Amino acid sequence: MEFFFDLLSVLVLLSSFVLVSNKKITAYIKTFQIQSALIALIAGIMGWSIAVNEDKYDILIICVIIIALKVIFIPHLLYKTYGNIEYRVEKDFFMNIPIIVLICCGLVVFSYFSVSNIGSLTGFHINHQVVNSLSVVLIGFFFMISRKKAIGQIIGYLVIENGIFVTAMFSTNGMPFIVDIGIFIDMITAVMIMGIMVTRINKKFESINIDKLSKLKG
Amino acid sequence: MGLVLWIAPIIAVMLSRVVNNIKSLHIISICTSFIMLLAAGITTKSVMLYETLTYKIFGDAFFIDAVSIIVLDIVIIIGFLVSIYSVGYLNEKLRHNLIKYKKIKFYYSMMYIFMFSMVLALTVNNIGIMWVAIEATTLATAFLVGFNNDENALEAAWKYVIICSVGIAMALVGIIFLHLASINVVSNENALQWNLLYDNAKDLNGSVLRLSFIFILIGFGTKAGLAPMHTWLPDAHSQAPSPISALLSGALLNSAMYATIRILAIVNKNLNDSAFTGRLMIAFGILSIAAAAVFIMTQKDYKRLLAYSSIEHMGIITLAFGIFTPLSIFAGFLHMINHSFTKTMLFLASGNILQKYNTRRISKVRGLLKMLPISGAAFLIGLLAISGTPPFSIFVSEINMFLSIFSAKYYVLGGVFILLLAFIFVGIVITLFKVFFGEPAIDSNIRRGETNKPGAAVLIVLLIIISVTGLYMPKLLKNLITSAQMIIIGG
Amino acid sequence: MVNVEYLIVQIIVVIMAAPLVNGIIKKTKALSQKRKGAPVLQLYYDLFKLFKKSTVVSDTTSWIFKAAPYIVFTASLVASLLVPVTTMIDSVWYAGDLILMVYLFALGRFFMMLAGLDAASTFGGMGSSREAMISSLIEPSILVTLMTVGLTAKSTSSYQIMEFMKGVDAPLIRPVYLLTFIALLIITIAETARIPVDDPSTHLELTMVHEAMLLEYSGRSLALMELGASIKQLTFITLLANIFIPHDQFIFISGAGAVLISILIYLIKVIFVSILIAVAEVSTVKLRLFSIPNLAALAFILSFIGFMQHFVLGR
Repeated sequence: MEFFFDLLSVLVLLSSFVLVSNKKITAYIKTFQIQSALIALIAGIMGWSIAVNEDKYDILIICVIIIALKVIFIPHLLYKTYGNIEYRVEKDFFMNIPIIVLICCGLVVFSYFSVSNIGSLTGFHINHQVVNSLSVVLIGFFFMISRKKAIGQIIGYLVIENGIFVTAMFSTNGMPFIVDIGIFIDMITAVMIMGIMVTRINKKFESINIDKLSKLKG
Repeated sequence: MGLVLWIAPIIAVMLSRVVNNIKSLHIISICTSFIMLLAAGITTKSVMLYETLTYKIFGDAFFIDAVSIIVLDIVIIIGFLVSIYSVGYLNEKLRHNLIKYKKIKFYYSMMYIFMFSMVLALTVNNIGIMWVAIEATTLATAFLVGFNNDENALEAAWKYVIICSVGIAMALVGIIFLHLASINVVSNENALQWNLLYDNAKDLNGSVLRLSFIFILIGFGTKAGLAPMHTWLPDAHSQAPSPISALLSGALLNSAMYATIRILAIVNKNLNDSAFTGRLMIAFGILSIAAAAVFIMTQKDYKRLLAYSSIEHMGIITLAFGIFTPLSIFAGFLHMINHSFTKTMLFLASGNILQKYNTRRISKVRGLLKMLPISGAAFLIGLLAISGTPPFSIFVSEINMFLSIFSAKYYVLGGVFILLLAFIFVGIVITLFKVFFGEPAIDSNIRRGETNKPGAAVLIVLLIIISVTGLYMPKLLKNLITSAQMIIIGG
Repeated sequence: MVNVEYLIVQIIVVIMAAPLVNGIIKKTKALSQKRKGAPVLQLYYDLFKLFKKSTVVSDTTSWIFKAAPYIVFTASLVASLLVPVTTMIDSVWYAGDLILMVYLFALGRFFMMLAGLDAASTFGGMGSSREAMISSLIEPSILVTLMTVGLTAKSTSSYQIMEFMKGVDAPLIRPVYLLTFIALLIITIAETARIPVDDPSTHLELTMVHEAMLLEYSGRSLALMELGASIKQLTFITLLANIFIPHDQFIFISGAGAVLISILIYLIKVIFVSILIAVAEVSTVKLRLFSIPNLAALAFILSFIGFMQHFVLGR
């Protein structure tokens, strides 16, 4: 069982690396979709074993919600938003990809050192898959920094959320049910608001390049 | 009675969706905020009597103690005043054909969702739900910040949503670690309940808790506008409609600070001293004050000036809780209250100025007292008050801060603090001279006199509040703050 | 001490099996394209023919041109000795380990690049410079990959790593080994001039890398170069097959029979990995030269994450 989670946590990490090294917005959305599917798989396996052992079904319900929201609904929404804006081929990143990838490798090392010290200080057992999921959070941050397009930033936000969800899964077997539901409601609202804003920005600035949003200073 | 606090704003949102008449929209808004004010008053009274207030039907979900009632009262009183002010403000906008009727409907429903999520954040026991509610405040205000729907407002709204959502995601990571730290202490059904975590604080895992606190301070610090995560704040506060700016500055920043304080109490109780949290919070606090000082000195836009001043005061409050002596915590809570009222008054007055002069630039506003006698006077006195001039209330809490810093033997810190406040004072006074002297520009389009009558009344009320609390502190308030201080300091 | 039996078995198996890999890959590709293709043993015939022919050497070349084939071949052969085809014979090779293997190949490559430049033809220089770029991009990944495997086994000697891997059950579902396996597969493809990096079946001047350096060679020199290249290819495949898919723990007899069975199973695994490489080759297209850094980055990500997982998961 543990090996499955190991493998899945590594695959989630790998998918965020793939995301970082992608160039096209449609590819971001697809990678996000795959990552969400992996996360749903993690929730599914964990939920199944808890349902069998302890007769509690909340993680299974969460798994279904993830599939409905993150695998189906949000990618669809993003594709639609992307369809609404005018298609223009513009470079979407500041640095070249190998450098971005190297920085992300640095982030993995950083999260390893910050998390692994906890255990050695107090002998407290911390599940080491958390290192991988925390790295996903950090890579999500870096993705947001490294992209110029507004949709790229939405994806970065979603990847951070994914990373946080997996962190919660691996460290504490998920948050309390009601909190999880609240987080999902917040997330879906946030994405919808951001989507609407992207459309408005595209109308007002005739681009979704956030470099253009630089009037307010000082 | 606490239930009313949850239900009233929800009903207001529903009604304002249904109603099709501007007058009744205004009436609904004022009635709702008045009901909430009454409910808050009754709740305050029962907290004074029983210390904590919970309801059996929600399990432990609903939880109010002295800490939350202070922030809750601030939020609800400011909400009430803003709802009165909004009537005049929106009517004025409507008269100039700047907005349509539908926008007002949207404004009110968003404002009450915002109120609801703030009240929810302040009245729940579960830290996870507190996080959800604080994130919901970001989402509810996103379109209110972009209310004007021009390029600047859109830019501010986008930055606001992105930076705050991401920042607060950090706080969620922190909350997960908090859950992890308590995993063998608090049972899974009661996970993340603040009172249980607080009672069992000694048994939590210290090193995980430290990591958790760093994430939470950065996360909620982003929302509270601490430097260097403050970049969204001047944009959002200056571009939002003025009543919303007042709510953001006076109520929302405090809610984010409140969440930090709650977790600070747990961490400090666990670690048994405040050295770790103190160092972090003092660093963030002094950095915020310094960053604000730099920008206030060179500011050309009066709403941004006020926004930077909010960053400064949040820095002062963070500093107060970082020092963590009884006196400094007292000063912190007092400062929270005083800053909220003073800043609300300033933002509301600046709203009137903006509607009159139609510019945000300081250099274009001349002869304010002649054009707008009440708003101008409120703005003048407010600027003096916010920079810490006696006899206003901010002076009282700042002098308490000085005393607490020096009595905690942080001499260098105290020196830097005084120096920065002096810089900020100079920066604000320069603005003041620019605005209040000189003749109004001769422009036939601008008529003299107040146009927002309810707004003027609100300003007078606020003026009375900040002047009176500067000279005399009600015993009730003192008792409340003292009991909040006891909760935070533990024991 | 060096075990003489081991040396004999190893040299015979490596030299005999190396050209077979090329044949299998070519045949698989041909079959997937619904062609009949050359016979599997074609490279043997070619080499045999080339060995009989005389060598033509350009007048403008120096000694490096003549010495290079021998150096390349010897370096490859010595390097291949460091990666045992079977662990049934005790072959603790005290004189070297996987890092020596990497740099022996680098030595061979260095002389191959010099020889490409030496003939002063336009294509030779072009091929050399491309080869230098590709190898410098891929080298960090090789080292990180081998280091990771070495760390888990606490040794850099390939024999000891293989001995250790026998004790690991189901290595390919463990993240560390899965990631390093895929990384090493990509490295193998890049190192042996296979399709996403270089197309071995064409002599198109704009794309060729490996073939460009050999353009001036003929006769026995060419044969040595080709054989050296295919030994290198077999060595990498041996690494993949013997480290990640260990089989010797299932052989319970000992003696000469066991060695024979072990080598037979080894050959089957080599065929399997060759088919895997052929499938990878068929299903991709050749990358532009400037996209190769991305492939190298992918290999590096995989090997690096694998490396981290060794620490992170500790299992």
